This record gives sequence, structure tokens and C-alpha cells, in this order.
Amino acid sequence: MERIGVFVCHCKLMASIDTQRVVDAISQTPGVAHVAAHEDLCLAPGMERMKEAISEHKLDGVVVTSCSPVLHDAVVRDAITSAGLEPHQMELVDVRSHNGVQEITEKAIESIEKAIEQLKEHRPLVQTRVPITKKVLVIGGGIAGIRTSLDIADGGYPVILVERTHSIGGHMIQYSETFPTLDCPQCIETPLMTDTGQHPNITILAHSEIEEVSGRVGEFKVKVRRKAAYVDWDKCNGCLMCTEKCPPRVLSEYNRDLDLPKRQAHRRAIWVPHAQAVPMRPIIDKEHCLHFTKGKCGVCQDTCPNKAIDFDQQDSFVDIEVGAIVVATGFELMPKSHIKEYDLDPDILEGIEFERILCPAGPTAGKVIRPSDGKEPQTVVFVSCCGSRDPEHGVPYCSRVCCMYLVKMALLYKHVVHHGQAFIFYIDIRTTGKGYEEFVQRAVEEDGVLYIRGKVSRIFRDGDKLKIWGSDTLSGKRIDMDADLVVLGMAMLPAPGAQEIADKLGIELDQNGFMTELHPKLRPLETSVPGIYLAGTCQGPKDIQDSVAQGGGAASKVLALFAQDEVILEEAATG
Amino acid sequence: MEKRIGVFVCHCGMNIAGTVAVEEVVEAVKDYPGVVHAENYIYMCSDPGQDLVRRIIREKNLNGVVMSNCSPLMHEKTFRNVVSKEGLNPYLLEIANIREDVSWPHEHEKELATKKAITMVKMAIDKLKRNIELTPMVVPLHKRALVIGGGISGITSALEIANAGYDVILVEKQPYIGGHAAQLAGTFPTLDRVPCLMAPKIAEAMSHPRVKVYTSAEVSEVSGYVGNFNVTIRIKPTYVDEGKCNSCGVCFEKCPVSCASDFDRGLSERKAIYATPPETVSQKVLIDPEQCLHMNGDECRACEEVCPTKAIDFSQEESTAEETVGAIVVATGYDLWEKKNIPEYELDPDVVDGLQFERILSPSGPTRGELRRPSDGKVPKQVVFISCCGSRDPEHGFTYCSRVCCMYIAKQALLYRKAVPDGQVYVFYMDIRSDSKGYEEFVKSAVEEQGILYLRGRVSKVFRDEEKIMVWGSDTLSGKSVEIAADMVVMATAMTPSKGAIELARKLNVTVDSLGFLTEAHPKLRPVETLTTGIYLAGTSQWPRDIPDTISSSNGAVSKVLSLFSRKELLHEPTVAWPDEEVCSGCGLCAAICAYNAIEIDPVKKVAVVNEAVCESCGACVATCPSGAMRHKNWNARQFMDMIDIATGAYV
Repeated sequence: MERIGVFVCHCKLMASIDTQRVVDAISQTPGVAHVAAHEDLCLAPGMERMKEAISEHKLDGVVVTSCSPVLHDAVVRDAITSAGLEPHQMELVDVRSHNGVQEITEKAIESIEKAIEQLKEHRPLVQTRVPITKKVLVIGGGIAGIRTSLDIADGGYPVILVERTHSIGGHMIQYSETFPTLDCPQCIETPLMTDTGQHPNITILAHSEIEEVSGRVGEFKVKVRRKAAYVDWDKCNGCLMCTEKCPPRVLSEYNRDLDLPKRQAHRRAIWVPHAQAVPMRPIIDKEHCLHFTKGKCGVCQDTCPNKAIDFDQQDSFVDIEVGAIVVATGFELMPKSHIKEYDLDPDILEGIEFERILCPAGPTAGKVIRPSDGKEPQTVVFVSCCGSRDPEHGVPYCSRVCCMYLVKMALLYKHVVHHGQAFIFYIDIRTTGKGYEEFVQRAVEEDGVLYIRGKVSRIFRDGDKLKIWGSDTLSGKRIDMDADLVVLGMAMLPAPGAQEIADKLGIELDQNGFMTELHPKLRPLETSVPGIYLAGTCQGPKDIQDSVAQGGGAASKVLALFAQDEVILEEAATG
Repeated sequence: MEKRIGVFVCHCGMNIAGTVAVEEVVEAVKDYPGVVHAENYIYMCSDPGQDLVRRIIREKNLNGVVMSNCSPLMHEKTFRNVVSKEGLNPYLLEIANIREDVSWPHEHEKELATKKAITMVKMAIDKLKRNIELTPMVVPLHKRALVIGGGISGITSALEIANAGYDVILVEKQPYIGGHAAQLAGTFPTLDRVPCLMAPKIAEAMSHPRVKVYTSAEVSEVSGYVGNFNVTIRIKPTYVDEGKCNSCGVCFEKCPVSCASDFDRGLSERKAIYATPPETVSQKVLIDPEQCLHMNGDECRACEEVCPTKAIDFSQEESTAEETVGAIVVATGYDLWEKKNIPEYELDPDVVDGLQFERILSPSGPTRGELRRPSDGKVPKQVVFISCCGSRDPEHGFTYCSRVCCMYIAKQALLYRKAVPDGQVYVFYMDIRSDSKGYEEFVKSAVEEQGILYLRGRVSKVFRDEEKIMVWGSDTLSGKSVEIAADMVVMATAMTPSKGAIELARKLNVTVDSLGFLTEAHPKLRPVETLTTGIYLAGTSQWPRDIPDTISSSNGAVSKVLSLFSRKELLHEPTVAWPDEEVCSGCGLCAAICAYNAIEIDPVKKVAVVNEAVCESCGACVATCPSGAMRHKNWNARQFMDMIDIATGAYV
């Protein structure tokens, strides 16, 4: 390319760049035939002037400075192609991202020169047409993955839903009741789980993980590892007689490893997470099964009417081909041990642990007890922002749901223990959703939940009680109080394994480990890999409403993709 | 035919069984006339529960099933599928809701609860005995969508549906599309220039071959039902022939009338003939009939006289367009609550609302991006932002939080500091709500790097004192009162539904809350659907939210539309009203009472005719009919009487 035109956008966001100096410097660059600066280049009049310049100066290449190539690529491309150039005859350069850098004008000139060199290397693009396999992989069977799967399946396309645990439902099914409606997930999520399980277009691969991903949009090839359950799920009919006879009693992941009196929250070595699991199929926990650890027991095998127990089962692999992938891998809570100032104590719980205790279908059948001695707690202290909004010790961001679930749990606690007292320590009360503000008002005014604005510096055991030291920033006083139970609103982190999944898929993570969307404002559901979309909390903390809306949103992206029969991909020609 | 009914009583874990003695229920109905089997189980909805029902249907050759469990909203569909799989007509299933109607409300009266549960199961059995087999109706499906509102939500929805291969009608009441988003100076937390975000989208929507855009237009009438909505669109004239106008702008110069620009929120003036703002790409020229002298009886024809292309056409009239669509997305957006609603804060040119300040910050705004205050054009050195003006204030304003103000205040403060590096910013707040990706970090950088001062407290009074605007407030952290002599004040007034939302909702037959925000079918699990099938919600028409959440919700609404359009046909519930022509006298009372316009009187036969596809089975016509000619399939009078006999019998 010998006649390159350089178009410098100077909008107010680039005010710190000396545009004239850039224009003067670049016009000296070899190969550059035309340099111009425009205000608001990206708007229609700017693009018109660029088109005029292309024909007037007979340009054969164009460099455009703009803020974000992601947003402007299509507009500039349309403009230059309508002026008779080919898509490869352009290069966008982001000079705004240098804002705040010293010598910003020099830096801009340098980037533009680099872009001119790159442009000269461009070769014509070759188009390949890839037929779309109209089948989708959804990774993660929580509420976001369920919503996405159902919407795509209802749209008429096959869905393969891969879930790491052995039932879909995600964290939501562990909760007692949900804000602000106080619906129980056992009532409102199970119909969706059942629909997912019965949908003719959905195949659930539970107890499975993504092993390998290759290919590209329209033709991803995915290998799924089906972990050994030691139960032949085709023979099993979900009668669960095995789980009644199995001798070991072990802590249950589904009950967040809660160690309650009389081992109420325990499970057996062969187990299903709960009575409404989908699929209703047990797995054997090899670490606790007496057959595997001692080589003796075989009770489940003897009990099973269908001869479904298979101690020799191995992991198996399924190869699938899909046109699109939706990632809905969800979140995990930061471990309590992360906060050194708060003792590790059986009566200091995190949010989901207390959900299990409050849950009418949970291990205590809704009776509120404290784990250490099974007594009903008379004073419960809730602590917001444990790890969130704390860049020094935890994570910088706000976990978005804690304000609401803490007040919800305080209210549910008060509904069970009428004379009990609930305190909530907070920094800011963040209740921005529909009906949320009113919910907090109700908790304060009708149920007498007490808010204390301040942080908690220490929590430790003092005899029968837990001692809480904190501050009240409104009165400016120190607080020293006793409680029977403490609930920590721990920060939401990406689910373990998010990094590996992202690596396999080739998508990016942000500095906090959440999956990165293509553009936070306008393309919140897409990733930098075409054909891979995001749903729910894998992208950042959000509540059920927002996860459901976003799950539906990701489905719309897939449905729009599948409305076409092929995708056109462009690559630079070799040689 | 001999009735062979099976009754299945669910424990729902302890949800039902904790209150209702389920074994007693089974015992009480197992020998009831018509019942050949009764059984209880811990979770009927689970796979083994469903298998149990199927097995009994086969083994006992059942011709009717009563499920006694939770609300039919939960599992009616599940069990209709279950009975169908065994070849039983799905309308030979009845649900006795002994959870929401019995175990939950009667938690502390266990004996009564069990008695009531038994009664309800018996009522369901007797109703079932008179049920007939029904088949859902197939109704046509027009695979075109209507999107109401051309803001960022409506544009996103329209483009996504169009890109999936379906035609879209986009109706916007302003003369341009782009909505409030086009008025903004920048976005949080990325600080993207708004034209960079919006212009490509607006341009794509305007030129998309599958999107038909009506601007200056409103939906005036809606009839029909999912798959078949008939929509009348009223389009206001521009009085300028678009084909002839070349946007030269000579007419603006000559027009003698100046008035406040809506787009700049009154901060600049435009003429009675004017062009749509450049931020909205189109640059369409139009006459404002309320301001134009000629349109108000004067002889002025200044624009017509100077127009070189003879494009002015005062004779243009309002027109209407009729469209048939299968689905509707409502994206009518928001308005800001007016400043004057807070009498403690004086109305003053230098006390602006959030969108006004956006215009002042905008490079293409009234001050061309120079940060100047409206009263005297001076650069303000002290700016005070007040959060929650009307929000979170049930006494004077609204109970709810407007969700975006905390973040746009931080953004505006940052943009202001960029423009006026030596300026000082104060922000009064109650709680800082910055709860999305990158938001917390954004506010932190405003405080730490830009020295923006956050004061936790409310402002009691704002008033002018010569050059300055005095702000009186309190700092609840130090417990002291605060007085600031500011140059400018920005009020973050509450977000309210856009004007006309309630009226539109009435036309669409969708519910609104008391404020006019459109109501979703279920806040948790059906956030983008309305209770009217085929009508979906997007963006701030439903609730205050920011741009990313608006885009997600729009995409959510789109997925519902695309799911709907992917079907080959639509099914409609067959439990509709039907008139017995032998009895009907054609009096027309039923047609008058029908809220869905589903009934007409046949002009020849003089009898009522029900459009079954429109009938929503409400039963109003059945109750109204003086001769008893109007019946309700599977809800006939005999069934009601049988049920009432049992219900009252148990308590007499």
C-alpha cells in the first residue's frame, strides 16, 4: 500500500492528545498520502468525510484512530467498503486507552506509526463458509444454565447440558427462600429442573466435566468426561433403597459440610443431593465407601433391585459436536478461613450454610439451631462485605447479592424465632432491584431487624457466646457484643475450575477470575471467541433475577446464530 | 363410562406432610365413588413419583387422575405430560392444591388442614367426573415482531430479532431513535463516548432490511392475541417532504420562533423547524406544530419561502399504519422525575438534573463540551451532587432505589474533573450502590485519584445566595451539619416510567404497578414475560436499570420471541367458553362484558360466537349470561354445584 490515509478522531475523551502535533508528525511518515483530524469521526458526517477523502486522494489503505476497535470495526468497515476499498485495507488503533500515560501525544504517534506498518503487511481476506451445527453445549446446570437450555430447547434446537455435580439446580436449590418474594426454590426451581430433565431437546450429562474443546464457531468439537458414578445410571431407576442401607455417614457437600448434632446434615457414601434431584441418580463416594476403602461392604449391591451398582466402572468419554457454547459455570463463596480476624468456629457460618439450616426442606426441617450444641440461637449477627469491597484482604468488587440475602435470612430467622434479635453490620445497604428497597424496610419496620453501619474487626469465642468487636460509624462508638450465631456474607468468587474451562475454551478472564464479556456495556453476553456466550455469575456476581434474564439473553444469541445456515469467517490469505 | 379415578397425594417433603396427615387423606378418599386407587408419596414430581403415577394408570386402567399436591402453576404441565404419556387425555387430570391452599396457610391448625385437604381432593374428584376430553387449538403464528420504544433497549431488541431472520416493526414516539442513551455524555464504568456506542446501533437499525422504523409514531390500538396481534400505529407528520429535503438548514435560520430544545433538556434553543440531533445519526428535518406560527393561524411561511428544494409541506396529515405481528416487546423506557417535585430545592438554572448535566458534559451538547453553568456561562468550580432525589423517600417521592444514580454521579464527577481539573466535587449520598462488574473500582478511583468528596447524609435545603447556590445538609458520619457554597448543583432525580406507559399498558392488556412500571409474570423466574402471552418486557419500562442490565434484559426478551417464532404452530388452551346456540337469544351481554373482545353476535343467526383463540377462559360471560346458554368447557355449572355441595357439606 502506497497511498495510506490516516484519520484521527479527536473527541473530548482524547482531549489530552495534541491532535495538531499528531497530524504534523504522521504526515511525514512514508507511504502516508493524507492525514486529517475530525471531531466525532465515528458519527455519520465523519464517516462521510472519510469516504470523500478516500476517493479524492485515491487512498489504498486507511488507518483510523478511535476509542475501542470492538465498537467501531463494523462502522469503519462499512464506510471503506462503500468507498471501494477491501476490508483488509484498514487498521484501527486505540489511542484512548493511553489516557493517563505520560507523553501521551508521543505515545499516540508511536501507535499510529505502528498501525501504518501493520496495515502495509495486510493481505486480502479469504472467506470461508462454515456450516453451523445447530446444537448447543451449555456448561453448568445452575439456574442460568437451566434457563438458557430451556430457551434454546424451546426454540427447537438440541441442547447438551453438562453439569459437574450429579444433579442440576446449582446453588439456588440449596437456598431456603428467595428474595424479595420469599418463594422457596424447592417450589419454583424444581418445575424448571423437571422440565429440563424431561425436555425432548435436552440431554443432561450430569457428573461430567469438559475435557477438551477444539474447532470454532459453527463446528466446536468437545470431549466430555463422564466421571465414574459406580452406578449404572441406565439400569438405576432412582428408587434410592441403596442410600438407606449404606452404612457410612459422612459430611454432605450439598449441606455445605455442616456438622450438625445427631449428624442430621450427613449423607451416606452412596447418595443423591436431595429428594428432587434431576437426574435422580446416585453416585458412590469412593473416599468413604467401605467397599473401596476396606474392601468389605457390598450392601448397596445386595439391595439394588436392578443390579445397577458397578464398582468397576471407569470414567468414560463422549465426543460431541456443537455450533455454539454457553458458559454458565457460576460462583463459589470465598472460604471463611480467608478472614483471619474471625475465628473458625462451628457457630460462625457463611451464607449458604445458614440457608441450609433455614431451609424447610433442609437437614433441620427448618428448625433454626446452632451447629455447636443444637440450641436455638437468640441473637444472630450478620456481617456484610466479608472479603468484598476490601482490596487489601479480599477482593475489590461488591458481591451484589449479600445485602439482600442477609436481610432475607434475618427476616426468615425472625419468622422462626420470634423473640430472637438479628443485627446486620453493613457498609452501604445495596438494594437496587425491583421491590428490594421495600423488602429491607419491611425487615426493619415490621420484623425489627437492626442495622449497624460499620465493620466488624474481631469475632471470637467467649464461653457459650461469640464475642463481636466492631464499630458503629454513625455514632462513632466501639461495639462489643455477644451473639449465639454469626453469619458471614462472604464474597462471591468464580466457581473453582473457571480458569481451566476458560483456558480450554480460549476465552479471557478478568483480574478477579470472572469470564470477560466482549464489551461490558453493549455486548455483555458475548466473549472474544465467536460462538461462545456467557450466562449468570461466571461473568460477575449477580442475583437470580439477573442471572435468569441473562441466561435468556445468551439463548437469544444462540438462537440468532442458529437462524443462519452458515457463518462466514475471514482470514488473511497466506503468502 | 365407569369412572376409574386414581388419587395421588404428595408429601412435598415436609411442606405438605408436616401439616396435612397425608395417610388420612388417602384413607378418606380411597373408597370414594369413582376412585379405584389412592396413594401417597414423598415427591410426586420426582422421576420415581411420576413413574408411580404412570404405572398405576397402566395397571389400574385409569380414566382420570387427581393429583393432590402444589399449585397447578407449578406442576399442572408436568402431570399433563405424565398422563399423556400413558395415552390419557391431559384434560382428564385435576389438581387439588393442598400446599398453597392448605398446608401453608393452616400450618398451625393441623386437624383442620387435613379435613380441608380431604374436602378439596373430593371436590377435584367430583369435578373430574364431568370433565370431557379436550385438545388444544392450533392458532396461526405471524413471525414478525413489534418493538415499542426506540431507546437502546428497543434498538437492541429489534436488531437481535432482525438478525435472527425475522421482520421487526420499531415504533418510537420521538422523531429519532436512540432514546435517553443518545443524550448521555459518556458511560460508566468504561467511559466510552456515547456516540461511539449508539451511532453504529442507530445506523444499523435505520438501514436494516428487516427493521421497519416508525418515528414520531405511537401505538394507538392493539387487538388480537399471541401470534396474531393487530396493531394500529399513528404517525405524526413532519411537514417536510423527506424525499426533497437535503438538510441544508437554511430554514432554521429564517424561522422566527425559538423554543427550548427537548433533547438538550431546555438548556439550548432550537427553532420551530429543526433537525433531529446529530447524536441520533438521522438528521431529519421537521416542524414542531405546537411552536410553528403558520400552524397556529399566523401567515408566516418563512421556511417554505427559503427552502431551495420546496420540501416544506404544511398539508401533511397524520397517517396510520396497520401491522400484524406475532409478538410484542415493550421497551418504553423511563423519564426523570421533575425537579420541581422537591420544594426544598429551589428551582434555579444552576440546579440541574442528571440528564441536563449529561448534556452540559457532552461534546455535542449546548456548550459544545465546555463546562459552563447555565445562568451566566461561568466555569463552575464547586459542584454538589445530591443522590436519591425522590428515590428511597416514600414520604415525598418513591420507595424504590433508582439504581443508576450512584454510578452516573461518580461518572459525571469524573468527567467534570477532566474538564475542570481544579474543580471540587461533593457528593451527598445515603448508601453508595456500585454493585456491578468494575463499579466498585470505578467509585474508588473517583474518590482516591480524583479527590471527590463523598458526604453521607441528606440535603435539607438548596437556595440561591447571589453568585452561589447554597447547599445545607448533614454529614451523618461526623454528626455535623454541612453548608456548601456551590456554583452548581446536580440533582439525581428518581427514574419513573415514561409518560403514557400506563395508557399503553392498558391497550396491551399488560399489568402495571401503581407507578406505571410494567409488571413481569414472576419477578424471579419469568422476569421478561408479562401475563399476556406474546408480550415481553425490555429495559427500564419494567424497572430502573443501567445499560448492561438493559441489554441483557432486552436479549432475554428477544430469546422469548425467537423461541416463540421457532415453533411451527401455536397451541391455545381449549378450556374456553362456548354458547349453546339452542338456548342463546343473542342479547349480547356476554359480548359487552368480555375483556378480550372474544365474543361477537352473529348478525344472521343472532347468537353469540366465541373466538376460541382469543378467549382467555375468565368465565365472565358465563356468569353474565341470563339464559345459561354460555358454558365453560370443563368448568360447567354442574361441576361447580357438585364442588360447592362437597365444600359446604363438610362444614354444615
